[in-house]
Amino acid sequence: MQDIDAEIKELIATIIEKDASQIDPDARFIEDLGVDSMMALEILAAIEKKYKIVIPEERLPEFITLNATIKIAKEYLADKK
Amino acid sequence: MFKDKVAIVTGGSRGIGREIVLMLAKNGADVAFTYLTNKDAAEEVALEIKKLGRRALAMQVDTRDFDKSKEFIDRTKQEFGRLDILVNNAGITKDKALMMMSKEDWLSVIDTNLNGLFNLARNAVVTFLKQKSGNIVNITSITGIVGMARQTNYAASKAGIIGFTKALAKEVAPYNIRVNAVAPGFIGTDMVAGLKEEYKKALAENIPLGRFGEPAEVANAVKFLLSEEARFITGQVVVIDGGLSLK
Repeated sequence: MQDIDAEIKELIATIIEKDASQIDPDARFIEDLGVDSMMALEILAAIEKKYKIVIPEERLPEFITLNATIKIAKEYLADKK
Repeated sequence: MFKDKVAIVTGGSRGIGREIVLMLAKNGADVAFTYLTNKDAAEEVALEIKKLGRRALAMQVDTRDFDKSKEFIDRTKQEFGRLDILVNNAGITKDKALMMMSKEDWLSVIDTNLNGLFNLARNAVVTFLKQKSGNIVNITSITGIVGMARQTNYAASKAGIIGFTKALAKEVAPYNIRVNAVAPGFIGTDMVAGLKEEYKKALAENIPLGRFGEPAEVANAVKFLLSEEARFITGQVVVIDGGLSLK
């Protein structure tokens, strides 16, 4: 599971154009990292594509931090298995 | 032109919507469309689509209902596997002088024509954003540009659609999604059939090209806007009125 954490962190870093090392796992996307709603959707879409899962758009407002995002992704990965 | 694309059209069982549905199917798209009351007409259109060798989905949806609109879009994606085109066509009129217009006359027109469009676009836009492609055409009206007496409700809803079209076009352009509108003038459909004969005659005389338009002439403009030929066009309103709004 550690791999998934790192992969998602890397994926988000690419989308928000920051170095992965700069992303604190509990930093708030919007307030601390300057992520806008479109970027949040891109993060959701990128995770869906990478892991071949479908995350309902209703979950989007819960994509608040890196840790929250990883937690949601793991929920749907677990459902897949 | 639209081979294997999946299109949604609201209000597709008759009039301009029906023509757009058939145009899309003729050009290779699978088409899902909504209708409100006329099941027989909707089934006939669905059959026409199938005769053209394309997949069809006709669903009774009141587009004023956000959840039903979402259900319709989800079902289209499930059955056809994707979504590429949205044509917001469903609309109603309740023409009256403002002094005679009830609150219900006002609200029902705004609710169907404007809120209904929001319900569809809102539920489709996430799919378009995620796939970084999509194409929306909204059917507005010249009354939303020049105004027509006894149509304050309809004109307000149609002017609202134009504002919506321009704002959304700017918002989603970075995601390779285009949003345009067509503004028909008087077109020979059920909506105009209700007018008095002498009034229709007087109206036609006022149109520089001397006649009412045909639904196919609106569908042709929609076809162009949805095509690759129009790939650099977004946020625009194409007027199809035989020159009426020039006056």
